[in-house]
Amino acid sequence: MDIATLQAYGYFVLTVGLTVILYAYIYHLYKNRKDADGHDYEEYSNIALNDDIVDTPVNAVSKTEDK
Amino acid sequence: MFHWLEKRPFFFAVGVFIAIAFAGLIEILPNFAQASRPVIGTKPYSTLELAGRQVYIKNSCNACHSQLIRPFKSETDRYGHYSLSGEYAYDRPFLWGSKRTGPDLMRVGNYRTTDWHENHMKDPAAVVPGSIMPAYRWMFTNEADINTAFAEQVTVANIFSVPYNKPVPMKDGSTAVVKMGNNVKEAKALALEEAKVIAADMKDQDVKDAVAKGNIPEIVALIAYLNSLK
Amino acid sequence: MENRPLEYDYTVAKMFMLATIVLGIVGMLIGVILAFELAFPSINTILGEGLAEYTNFSRLRPLHTDAVIFGFTLSGIFATWYYVGQRVLKVSMAESGFLMFIGKLHFVLYVIGVAAVVVSLFAGVTTSKEYAEFEWPIDIAIVVVWVLFGMSIFGLIGIRREKSLYISVWYYIATFLGIAMLYLFNNMEVPTMLVSAPDGSAIGGAWYHSVSMYAGTNDALVQWWYGHNAVAFGFTVPIVAMIYYFLPKESGQAIYSYKLSLLSFWGLMFVYLWAGGHHLLYSTVPDWMQTMGSIFSVILILPSWGSAINMLLTMKGEWQQVAASPLIKFMVLGSTFYMFSTLEGPIQAIKSVNAIAHFTDWIVGHVHDGVLGWVGFMIMAALYHMAPRVFKREIYSKSLMAAQFWIQTLGVVFYFTSMWIAGITQGMMWRAHDEFGNLAYSFIDTVTVLHPYYAIRGVGGLLYLTGFLMFAYNIYKTMTAGRKVEESELASASPMGA
Repeated sequence: MDIATLQAYGYFVLTVGLTVILYAYIYHLYKNRKDADGHDYEEYSNIALNDDIVDTPVNAVSKTEDK
Repeated sequence: MFHWLEKRPFFFAVGVFIAIAFAGLIEILPNFAQASRPVIGTKPYSTLELAGRQVYIKNSCNACHSQLIRPFKSETDRYGHYSLSGEYAYDRPFLWGSKRTGPDLMRVGNYRTTDWHENHMKDPAAVVPGSIMPAYRWMFTNEADINTAFAEQVTVANIFSVPYNKPVPMKDGSTAVVKMGNNVKEAKALALEEAKVIAADMKDQDVKDAVAKGNIPEIVALIAYLNSLK
Repeated sequence: MENRPLEYDYTVAKMFMLATIVLGIVGMLIGVILAFELAFPSINTILGEGLAEYTNFSRLRPLHTDAVIFGFTLSGIFATWYYVGQRVLKVSMAESGFLMFIGKLHFVLYVIGVAAVVVSLFAGVTTSKEYAEFEWPIDIAIVVVWVLFGMSIFGLIGIRREKSLYISVWYYIATFLGIAMLYLFNNMEVPTMLVSAPDGSAIGGAWYHSVSMYAGTNDALVQWWYGHNAVAFGFTVPIVAMIYYFLPKESGQAIYSYKLSLLSFWGLMFVYLWAGGHHLLYSTVPDWMQTMGSIFSVILILPSWGSAINMLLTMKGEWQQVAASPLIKFMVLGSTFYMFSTLEGPIQAIKSVNAIAHFTDWIVGHVHDGVLGWVGFMIMAALYHMAPRVFKREIYSKSLMAAQFWIQTLGVVFYFTSMWIAGITQGMMWRAHDEFGNLAYSFIDTVTVLHPYYAIRGVGGLLYLTGFLMFAYNIYKTMTAGRKVEESELASASPMGA
């Protein structure tokens, strides 16, 4: 198999893969209102709105948990 | 999977990198072996031509002139045969340009002469009425950098196996040899030999005198390069 | 020890704000000179025959592009990062002496790099690759600056209080990674100082000179993979990062759909890199790459519009703010130009359109409606928003800002309309044949016909530059003469004097 054929297969596989991943992500976002930490995605807009250093973080880093 | 990614900045960054890197991997890398073979009739640049090419780059001629003829009748009528990939095999860097404020120069050596270039570089509007190209008079006094051109020749010969001092096939079945000196002295002698041929066709007395004394003004090198574009 | 409440530390942000303004003036001024040189070639020798080498169009052209990309835009990106980064991660740079040092070092090395670039480009030291003109010593300096930027980003993330990364931070990370990858691969070059002559003697010659690792078609492929995506990761990704922070903050409105912003992010990351091939249509790169370049360019409309529409919908029900605040006007018109430009780009990437548009001024027009209307407006808006918070003073003059907005908008409109007409006119004239199949026009006919459009473009550029000088003045007066404001006035809409 010459390099162009391999390239063409690679291109096809990656394009399909890309499509699948993106659609899976769309589905994931559509299905889950909340993220892994149990926060509604839309809450995260508040990170910009309440961004004083004394404001309470939307999702605080706790000392015990790893980053 | 996505939940997991959202919590981890490091793996997030890795994910982004994969997303942006694979296009390059598939699109660009595999083409490398194929695209860099010269077509028959393509020669490496001589020392003087390479010095001229450096003058071309130094003054960003490629900001206004392309070196890429697209396969349309209007372009082949105007500039000659459309470009082939192999014709660029010795072009490091490529000089296709992205804007034609002036005409394409890919095959300018076929239809312009030393004399034409000399007058044109001195005063473009006098040769082509209405031209908006600036004059390049300093090229008649600045000296071409043969040392750097020679260093570039040696580099490409050593690292990229560009065939200097070796026969390369030409279109008519013959072979041609582009010479490269063994040291700076020889390289300068080779360049001067070529420069004398160019200067003989020029009118500017200062340029003629400089070449007679063994100096090579930038304009001579540039014209040698432009004449080599065929 | 004094027990002051913790505050965000904007020292480094201030430095980069200053750099943004200075380099913006330099880059745009050179741009205006270039525009008038095309309209009136005698300007090429404006400082006399002796200096013609340094004032001539071709020598100045890379200085213009690099000054606005790596000068104005990049320092704008850095300035906003050192502002936005702290705020959305809820951590102050004052908390880490190390990060503070990295930030200041970042600025100092950046300024040195800029100075080296200016000197070398004036001297004609260039590799000729667009937006990658620098020779290897400067490339190395740029890599160091970039690594410091990366350390700032990830260092700040490492000590953050807000666990989730706000969408803007995603975009800043992508900017860092994308440019790093592209820049490294496109600038692979072999310094010629390393070799000696075949007989072993030394050669001499310029020590900074180098040869590209790639030849011909391959070089073109790598260059436009870089060139196109440097636009992506310099002019799109970080500017989107800015608008996702500054528009919600200034207007007090939450992003219309945070989910949509996440989706557009991944869409943009996946699709953008494939589109570079559209710079090489009808060239000697393989056909399938050209076709893929075209197709992906069209697909690219989706994620681009995803972000832009998200921004416009954020203003839903709040359009009176657009009328009331010139600052919001800048951002809303910026998003609109972003939509416009990301529609125009894919149209130009369609092969049959590209056959006419390529190599003409239409491309120049496209770039400029993007950078003047979107990048320039957004960076100025960001700096306007930051100024009262950084200097603790209200913006000096609202009416000056409004005047600037209209002057610059007019400038952009002059610019892109004249370049559209110029580009399409020239593209059509190049391909026109007479009844016998001969070319209808000589090349010079297609140049002289552009004179009026070049003049209009020059005026457009001059208007934009005028507006930028008003911006610089307004920021300067804000720093020195604006009314002092209390923290409570800074929650959302920026305080402005008359």
